[in-house]
Amino acid sequence: MKKLTLSGVAIATVLAACTMTVSAAPVKIGLVETLSGPQASSGQSYRTAVRYVVEQINAAGGWNGEPIQLLEYDNQGGPSGAADKLKAAAADGVQIVVQGASSAIGGQITEDIRKHNLRNPGKEMLYINMGAEALELTGEKCNFYHFRFAGNAQVRTKSLVEGMKKANALGTKVYAINQNYSWGQDMQQAILDNQKLGGYTVVDKTLHDVNKIQDFSPYVAKIAASGADTVITGNWSNDLLLLMKASKSAGLKARYGTVYLDQPGNLANAGELAEGNFVAHTFNAEAGNEDAEQFVQDYLAKTGHIPVFVEPQTVYGMKMVAEALTHTPPKDGALDVNALAKTLETTRLSTPMGEMSMRASDHQAQLPMVVSSVSRDAKHKVDGTDMGFKPVLLLSAEQASTPVQSSCKMKRPD
Amino acid sequence: MEQFLFSLMNGVIYGLLLFMVSAGLTLIFGMMGVLNFAHASFYMLGAYFAYTLQGMLGFWLAVIVSPLLVGLIGVVVERYFLRRVHRHGHAHELLLTFGLSFIIAESIKLFYGNYPVDYRMPPSLDFAAFSMGATQYPAYRLLMGGIAIAMFIVIYLLLTRTRVGIVVRSAIHRPSMAEALGHNVPLVFMGVFGAGAALAGLAGAVAGAFYTTNPNMALELGVMVFVVVVVGGLGSLVGAMLASLLIGIMTSMAVAVDSSLADLLALFGAGEWARNVGGLMTLNLSSLAATLPFALMLLILLVRPGGLMGEKG
Repeated sequence: MKKLTLSGVAIATVLAACTMTVSAAPVKIGLVETLSGPQASSGQSYRTAVRYVVEQINAAGGWNGEPIQLLEYDNQGGPSGAADKLKAAAADGVQIVVQGASSAIGGQITEDIRKHNLRNPGKEMLYINMGAEALELTGEKCNFYHFRFAGNAQVRTKSLVEGMKKANALGTKVYAINQNYSWGQDMQQAILDNQKLGGYTVVDKTLHDVNKIQDFSPYVAKIAASGADTVITGNWSNDLLLLMKASKSAGLKARYGTVYLDQPGNLANAGELAEGNFVAHTFNAEAGNEDAEQFVQDYLAKTGHIPVFVEPQTVYGMKMVAEALTHTPPKDGALDVNALAKTLETTRLSTPMGEMSMRASDHQAQLPMVVSSVSRDAKHKVDGTDMGFKPVLLLSAEQASTPVQSSCKMKRPD
Repeated sequence: MEQFLFSLMNGVIYGLLLFMVSAGLTLIFGMMGVLNFAHASFYMLGAYFAYTLQGMLGFWLAVIVSPLLVGLIGVVVERYFLRRVHRHGHAHELLLTFGLSFIIAESIKLFYGNYPVDYRMPPSLDFAAFSMGATQYPAYRLLMGGIAIAMFIVIYLLLTRTRVGIVVRSAIHRPSMAEALGHNVPLVFMGVFGAGAALAGLAGAVAGAFYTTNPNMALELGVMVFVVVVVGGLGSLVGAMLASLLIGIMTSMAVAVDSSLADLLALFGAGEWARNVGGLMTLNLSSLAATLPFALMLLILLVRPGGLMGEKG
């Protein structure tokens, strides 16, 4: 009998909770991110940035008179975990899913959301991609409900090549070394594609296992033997650090063009050897207008550190979403995801780096890029070192943009 | 030729580093009959301790003191944790060390954060030992190799030439008989476990400064160390040395090989067919370098399950 009453109470509570959500219908944003395990550090960076913007939205009154709810799900670093958590998020009534770390997870989420939306018309979900940069997400897998607010291999490499050329740091013999999965393969292709633009030849190229290699000296020996004067790599985390350290200790004189050198801890660990190498990223306060400094100080005050790595792009991506939300009127007291998606396609946001927009044909954000080199003259020093990122070239969204992939056949809702 | 020599040396030194970590593991396995999952965590602890102490004691003292601290932790783990679950059987010991590896990794993240820390070799050691062509060979790598070789000689002599070695070996192979003869076997177990942990700590303190010191370093090296122990033969020190060198040289050499199965088959006139099949056939050996040791392990388990020098096969 006691059990019965207990479950009765439970059912009543659940029912009450359900009716409450139906009548109020606050917008729920679900962050499905890697929050534990070896790759937790990047997941936590995305989380900090998303929390920062959600707080701002709610301080400004939320949406439709209700604060926005941010629910956090730990995908445990893998696609299978992400698939499970996405189901949980759907059950919790999440309408906007945010994720960034790992293209493998991004690929899973975009496919799962596509299927979910086919099966549940009227209950669509949106995937806001903050950093899964594999080309297939805006190529053969491109999907109306997926929006990428980060760069991709083509955009990053093009910017990097332009920036290094401007700084007279791009040699004529380039070595491409990348990780052997979707992102690294895209990078290798992009490095090959930009040969004409950069006026270099790729002397040799390597794809290696991801985050498995402790000792990069054999690869450095190979780079040395190729006679390359510049190394371009999309490597991140340990694969980048170990590669650069091995290169320094072998006395290799090649210059590095990278995409992820601004990951926290890299400069501290690399030390002097990082100096003079390049990174193509989405934000550098020193290159931006007066708002940039204000943003940096505000972020520092709210989160305890200056925005680095993927945080700025996540903040501005979320601000685009916030902007689109303010222009999406509620339908029957709730958020109409299709309407939000259509509004997002026409939203423009002026960021400290320049104007940013969303390309409707493949849902790849058109955003300004900055190429910086590691220098002691930089305004903001990072990682407690005396070095920081000194901007070399700021590219507007149009300059950084690369064409839509022909493989993208987007099905739009009526 | 230059590249070949460099690859060979790189492989040998990396192999010696693997040996430093796996030596303790293989001894502990021989003793307890259980793979110690927390072993690579001791390697990580060694690096973090040396990083912390470096500011106070200087690099060299830190490299000496941190293995001692790690050894002490090893002793505590054996005495107060493993010994308690020992009578419940191997599965419990295995689970305990497995859990311990998570606890150590998470505690490191708690104290030092998620990102790599600023642990580097002192500038006085940061020079090239010699150069060949355009490439220099860092002196620190030679130092790492030297330490590993010295370690191997000391352990080998200790085990084969001294009374302590005789007692340890007998306690490992026939614990009940050694106990009946009046030796304090639990004390021997504790000592070996502590020494094994200290060796891993030493490897961490030395290698952490050369590679990176980050919360994932245990994970990255841990798997490879298990492969070494399995290939070398569980419990065999010489086997661990052989397997380490084999794996080190193999991964290092494979990087330079830009050919695939299809190229091999082309020798027999089947190249065209292989290229059309694609997939595994056209994968370059160089992109598989870090996976090769696992293939080797598979091969060894198939043809010689006891490992290269295993006694229990």
